[in-house]
Amino acid sequence: MAYPYVSDHEVRIISEHFGDPKQRRLETYVERGGYQALRKAFDMGPEAVVEAVKASGLRGRGGAGFPTGVKWSFMPKNSGKPHYLICNADESEPGTFKDRELMRWDPHQLIEGCLIGAWAIGSRHAYIYCRGEFFETNQVLARAVEDAYIKGYVGKDILGSGNDIDVTVHQGAGAYICGEETGLMNSLEGKRGLPRVKPPFPAAVGAFGMPSTINNVETLAVVPHIVAHGGEWYRQYGTEKSPGTKLFCVSGHVNKPGNYELPLGFPLMKLIDEVCGGMRRGNALKAVIPGGSSVPIIDAEESARCRLDYEGCVEVGTMLGCASVIVMDETADVVRQVRRMVDFYAHESCGQCTPCREGSAWTAQILRRIEDGRGTEEDLDTLMQMTQQMVGTTICVLSDSVAAPVQSSIQKFRDDYLALIRRGERVGAA
Amino acid sequence: MSDIPLRNPGWAGNTGDFDLTEAEVRGDDFVGERPKHGGHPSGAGTLPYMLAEKRPEAPLFEGEYRERLDKILTRYPTRQAALLPALALAQEIRGHVSPESMDRVAELLGLSPAYVRGVTTFYTMYNKRPVGRHLVQVCTNISCNLAGADEVVDAFLRYTDTELGEMSEDGNFTVIEAECLAACGFPTCVQINSRYYENVTPAEVPKICEHLKARGQ
Amino acid sequence: MSEPITLTIDGREVSVPRGTTILEAAKTIGVVVPHYCYHPGMSSPAMCRLCLVEVEGAPKPMPGCVTTVAEGQVVRTQSDDALNHRKGVLEFYLVNHPLDCAICDRSGECDLQDYVHAEGRGHGRGREPKRVFGRDDFGGDVLFYGDRCVMCTRCVRFMSEVEQDHRLTVVERGSRSVIDTFYEEGLEGTYWHGNIVDICPVGALVSKDFLHKARAWDLTHTPSICTSCSQGCNIELHTRDNLVQRIKPRENLDVNGWWICDYGRHNYEWMNHQERLEAPIARRGGGSKAVGWKDALSALLDKAGSLGGASVKAVASPFSPNEDLGALRALVDGLGGGDIVFRSARAEDEVPLKGFPALARRSDLAPNTSGAELFGMRRVGNDDATGGLESVASHDGILVVLGDRLADQPEDFGAGAALYVYLGMHDSAAAAHADYVLPVTTHAEGEGTFTNHEGRVQRFWPALQAPGMARPAWLVVGALVAERSGGAVSRAASEAFASLGPSAPAFGGITYDDIGARGAVINESVSLTGD
Repeated sequence: MAYPYVSDHEVRIISEHFGDPKQRRLETYVERGGYQALRKAFDMGPEAVVEAVKASGLRGRGGAGFPTGVKWSFMPKNSGKPHYLICNADESEPGTFKDRELMRWDPHQLIEGCLIGAWAIGSRHAYIYCRGEFFETNQVLARAVEDAYIKGYVGKDILGSGNDIDVTVHQGAGAYICGEETGLMNSLEGKRGLPRVKPPFPAAVGAFGMPSTINNVETLAVVPHIVAHGGEWYRQYGTEKSPGTKLFCVSGHVNKPGNYELPLGFPLMKLIDEVCGGMRRGNALKAVIPGGSSVPIIDAEESARCRLDYEGCVEVGTMLGCASVIVMDETADVVRQVRRMVDFYAHESCGQCTPCREGSAWTAQILRRIEDGRGTEEDLDTLMQMTQQMVGTTICVLSDSVAAPVQSSIQKFRDDYLALIRRGERVGAA
Repeated sequence: MSDIPLRNPGWAGNTGDFDLTEAEVRGDDFVGERPKHGGHPSGAGTLPYMLAEKRPEAPLFEGEYRERLDKILTRYPTRQAALLPALALAQEIRGHVSPESMDRVAELLGLSPAYVRGVTTFYTMYNKRPVGRHLVQVCTNISCNLAGADEVVDAFLRYTDTELGEMSEDGNFTVIEAECLAACGFPTCVQINSRYYENVTPAEVPKICEHLKARGQ
Repeated sequence: MSEPITLTIDGREVSVPRGTTILEAAKTIGVVVPHYCYHPGMSSPAMCRLCLVEVEGAPKPMPGCVTTVAEGQVVRTQSDDALNHRKGVLEFYLVNHPLDCAICDRSGECDLQDYVHAEGRGHGRGREPKRVFGRDDFGGDVLFYGDRCVMCTRCVRFMSEVEQDHRLTVVERGSRSVIDTFYEEGLEGTYWHGNIVDICPVGALVSKDFLHKARAWDLTHTPSICTSCSQGCNIELHTRDNLVQRIKPRENLDVNGWWICDYGRHNYEWMNHQERLEAPIARRGGGSKAVGWKDALSALLDKAGSLGGASVKAVASPFSPNEDLGALRALVDGLGGGDIVFRSARAEDEVPLKGFPALARRSDLAPNTSGAELFGMRRVGNDDATGGLESVASHDGILVVLGDRLADQPEDFGAGAALYVYLGMHDSAAAAHADYVLPVTTHAEGEGTFTNHEGRVQRFWPALQAPGMARPAWLVVGALVAERSGGAVSRAASEAFASLGPSAPAFGGITYDDIGARGAVINESVSLTGD
């Protein structure tokens, strides 16, 4: 169920037990049918598990949307090298708060997903890289993993199957860029979390130089359910190209913000009006960011046409990303929020690539100047053209993420900028 | 539909009961803070390393802390991979990561001190200089910003009588802005040392500050 | 050997081995793609984003330094697309870069100046205050101007991958990132850190020794060989006003890669020493009198002739080139043969460059010991290049000193010799009893060759003008030899080199063309032109 609010529209596959602290206990998890999928996966064999996930059409839930089964099939067969499954629990995208809930309410679901994933790709060690700020979550996960070790669900000869898989919970230290899969691997290895050039891809050269697969928490949480019910079962929800359900993190100016598990393809306005109880105070909708701060902002007209799946969002000129829906009403100060987002990227940029290192800081400076009422219309042209120089020219896409809110807000909310530039007036309160 | 009653998860939310422990707020069977020492090696790298108690002169990596580091080292194929947890351990002991701590960690893991400095300064959570007993980190990113996070920051600065990033005179508080803490549905989110406080508004700030000073947590 | 790959770069076909990067493939046809972080001697992080080229079919511009070639690939480095991308990246480099050109040592040899001039925007758009890091003393010879840094991390990677003493790091992240050391530890105790000044593409890392000394465009570059040890690193002498201003390495993958050590790099002041012998001097018996070359040499020859049958002892120097040493051997042989000794300093151990195994600062601290030994000369004396000349000092026959300054020898050195000829760059107290004191040139003032520790003969060229009437020793001694034997006089270093055969069989039949501009190991087949 969603947390803290529930909705009848939800399809509760991975969020069934949100809010129920008993779910953290291994005994409760097993009583409710937990770790059966793991047994089944062992019986099926790794190739069959990969095929099941491929058949389900599950796409990576961390934002990239790459088909998970296909990603698993990239791992080499018979490489002779140790393989690593890494769970990306470094949730830092502004607007996103689903992985934290998944881990602190249903840690064993994730652990089972990691074990099945490791089994499928031939890995004997799964690392859960959980961001440093998540102290509570790290403790919950660590306790759950410990319980699982004690009862024989993790470690040597799991459940008498003869298979050995270890799980280690690794706590990060505060860097958004470590959520990028190659930055994560560098951070895991004890280095500065700088993204790597691809190729080579992680399936060839990953953590510690060995073949690795990195999957998001939500992706791995779905895996036990797919194995239990079969790939085709997952396709009954969602759309053909975006099958299944997704945890939507709704925040901002709605009455009932929180996580909701809904089938992909759900209309955005239905999410706001029916699931989230409508706009707060009945205010008019101004702007929505449907996929976390890295995707373009859409205005009210585009929101009315927006279907929440990977293709639907592209059709209205944005992206689904990690499905973190940030809703802004007529009182929102768009310029200030864009500036804050760019400040975030400037702070979190790793600094390797010059367009991002210099461009993110420069963009933030210009936006601050505009916010202070000392901007010019020429600045808007500079921003549009200069941020375009940041797209496609860097190792990772943090640079592109700076361009998205800046360019989309100048295109769609130009009047807000002009009010500040021409009259020094802020449009909106916060 | 679950029969679990709807309860605002925020510590400083509608309940206003600041004497509740986190376990009481978050429900039964909350696993809470695991004991610092002991425990399975798989979780040895997860640490409560933002403590109120700072001991800047304490020895590094002796006794039970050395045991924890040794357990961490067994989980990775290289010594270097234990660098982040080792720095966190050093911070847990002393309250921040000083050049001397960097040197000691470098020595233990077979790395150069300059390299360790590079890694330490890359990550936000390692304090490069001493901070107050309570490090107040207020998220001011978009979702919390839309709910008035900037006013929460101002309220904290007023009630702790500090400048942003500076330690208060009594050494109790340092207030900083944080990047997204992933509690966007419960704005404004404030992290104080290891603990999340959700749904914080400027009205609750004085009570939180008093509560922290009194309970010494 | 796998099949070569054929691709098209800027409309021209090029074939290279599989695995070659686009950047290297372009180099083979003379197409230079601007870049900072790439360096052939280190890893390629592809982070400067300057080497972006257009690859047909690729959705984004590709970094040429790490993108490997593919069969049939079509690459454009000068298309509008590629130029616009690089222009955009260059703009970001300039946003925070200080306008220091007027006071920056790197001006005139700066990759940022050159690239922006070629491909950058005409006008700046930045109106914001620039970030400031200030100047930092890294210790050793290096000053760091943080504001100028383009964060290519070549310096960090050199220290960690090539010298393998990880002293430099990037601290902080994002636009606050800057290069630094571990607080006060700095670069003290490292031996190769001077190289980071060479590889820094801008004026962020500068040499304290060279700070504000001379403008890059005033310097003349002359290829030469380092004389501080027997490694024989290929260098350039950069001169102005007839003074060596600094030494830079020259690329030679067989000897020193792209690197030189700090000791050799800073050991050049002796070439600029002003107190030089400038005219031949007739000394003993007639007071010290400057004379012309013809008079000096003919008087010398007469004296030598009149002594006929006197035994000969000579002192040579391992700092003399092969041409000089060969002429000396010919002279001594022509006078009836005799013992030639030399002194040279030795260090206790070698200092290898771990990341480039062929290179080390050798314990033999002279450039031509191998050459001297090939000419049958014998090392004497202590490891600090003193002593060993007791029998020579009291010799009563013919005594020739070439190149050794005799700094540790007493005033009565050679007092009992029948004929004592001293050829050197500087006068010496131990030349008080010399019959003739003849001024010769340093290697920096002439052309010649040295033989390094592995038998590699390498050429150097003249960088300075010799003072006064000083002449190359091979010319002077060669003239004496020719007069006595009736043979031809060498009038050029190449002739002197070609005639070394009789003095040392290893040199028999070899000419400068054979060893080429990169030098060659002479105990291998001579037909190998080591270019």
